[in-house]
Amino acid sequence: MTARQENTRFAFRDTLIELAAKDKRIVLVCADSALVVKAGDFQERYPDRFFDVGIAEQNAVCVAAGLASCGLIPFFATYSGFITMRACEQIRTFVAYPNLNVKFVGANGGMASGEREGVTHQFFEDVGIVRTISGVNIVVPADASQVKEAVRAVAGIEGPCFIRIGSGRDPVVADDGGVPFSFGQARILRDWGSDVAIFVMGFVMNRALEAADRLKHEGINATVVDVHTLRPLDVESITAVLQRTRAAVTVEDHNIIGGLGSAIAEVSAEEMPAHLVRIGLRGVYPESGLPDPLLDKYHIGVVDIVNAAKKVIAKKALTTSFKR
Amino acid sequence: METDIGKLEVWARLIRRDIVTMTHLSGDGHPGPSLSVADIVTALYFGTMKVDPSRPQWQDRDRMILSKGHACPAVYAALARKGYFSPDVYPTLRHIDSILQGHPDVQKTPGIDATAGSLGNGISIGLGMALAAKLQGKAYFTYVVTGDGELNEGVIWEALMAAKHHNVGNLIVLVDNNEYQSGGAVRNISGILPLLPKVEAFGWHCQEVDGHSIAEILQAVKAAQAATDTPSIIVAHTLKGKGVPYMEGNNAWHKRTPTKKEYQEAMMALGGVE
Repeated sequence: MTARQENTRFAFRDTLIELAAKDKRIVLVCADSALVVKAGDFQERYPDRFFDVGIAEQNAVCVAAGLASCGLIPFFATYSGFITMRACEQIRTFVAYPNLNVKFVGANGGMASGEREGVTHQFFEDVGIVRTISGVNIVVPADASQVKEAVRAVAGIEGPCFIRIGSGRDPVVADDGGVPFSFGQARILRDWGSDVAIFVMGFVMNRALEAADRLKHEGINATVVDVHTLRPLDVESITAVLQRTRAAVTVEDHNIIGGLGSAIAEVSAEEMPAHLVRIGLRGVYPESGLPDPLLDKYHIGVVDIVNAAKKVIAKKALTTSFKR
Repeated sequence: METDIGKLEVWARLIRRDIVTMTHLSGDGHPGPSLSVADIVTALYFGTMKVDPSRPQWQDRDRMILSKGHACPAVYAALARKGYFSPDVYPTLRHIDSILQGHPDVQKTPGIDATAGSLGNGISIGLGMALAAKLQGKAYFTYVVTGDGELNEGVIWEALMAAKHHNVGNLIVLVDNNEYQSGGAVRNISGILPLLPKVEAFGWHCQEVDGHSIAEILQAVKAAQAATDTPSIIVAHTLKGKGVPYMEGNNAWHKRTPTKKEYQEAMMALGGVE
């Protein structure tokens, strides 16, 4: 499956420039990551609002905290794992705890975004780590158009936010109407029935949509839900879908611990018990490779989603027959 | 702002008495490192900083970050005596519902400019504030007070590099060089010594002072303020527990609270009985 691509790093950069033109409080902090996040154009237009602090992410997060405490709106952008793992404590103690207005933009979000770089640059724990830190809003866009909307949205929110972006070779979601984005709201992309819900976050959206197509051809009717905002999580919409389907599959390019799968499991356990299968990285470290073969090898393939849907529907049927 | 050194020394004595009182009454806290930093804190808050206790969020105020946050009783005393809040809250230090947290909390304590205390992070936060001042065309200074043991942290050296690169002349770091860290003497725990040549090699404007001479501290701060094209560091040589004879140089007082008898003895030594 080869979808049209649009660079999410450019999408971030272009939107930041657009916002910076209107709001002089917006500044960009990099940790020798200007090339990574394609920040050159920002740097040229706003040299005094661009701060490179060296390959020093802990320093960068604290510098951003200091800038924010003086009324500026710093975006700190570099590889997602270097923000969320190297500088995890700084995010928690010096940005989230004092509720400072810092925006984190993490590139190479997911195994497929790290692709040929290998595990050191493939980040599939980032969302889970940030989810454990209270007060940080989290957005995992599905493609470049959603990145643009997400950057606009978080710039207007007072407080810490985290956005995932990709490798620069990021698929566009092949949805006829595009993938509209509204911060904090899960959105149903396919409303084909109540056999199974497929909850998805991020750049693997096309795989979930294709799986729903295949299921439909086999007479299985799925509801596909785009969960791009992980905090605040749209518990109400998710609960409503779970109530209807009572069976769900989660799909994410992330460790199954801490990310979307965990989030849906939490909602299900507390609000609406449903059968659940989580698709994602499960206790493995992947390897270098091209995105699509990587996703297939590590069981985030269309066939894996289809099989998971059938499995969870079978479980649902079993429980229902017991009840009868 | 007080210029009379004699009067500043009176303030410093009061801050020391408050530190001992606070830790005694609350039954918790770090008296040793608070007493070593007391003259530095007094010199800053009473001798040079432009602040307005009636407007803690005043945008043009000088900033102060206590990176060695465990010494916060010294800063709490200075803020109380400046008028940010009443000394009546001293017994609540580290207790539930208190405005005085175990380490500085920007959201709970009026006058605190940054949450700090997990070691090593203050200079980076100060760098952010200093960069913001330059961008916004503001004339305030940002002061960061670190310990010497704290300089073990890697992020300190990240900040030293970055601050030099950006040449923030409005950033002034003071090191409370009391030669001890939690686990013992600094020299026995890491290879940080000699300190000054290392910081000099990073290109900072460097000075050394007697950290218990308010005159020397203020003179060095003035020189640091005048070095407008480079960040400055002042290594202030201090004595842990300074002012209370049985605490001086005794690392057991890094974190320990004085009994009633010890409290009375300390108050006598600090010039007066309650």
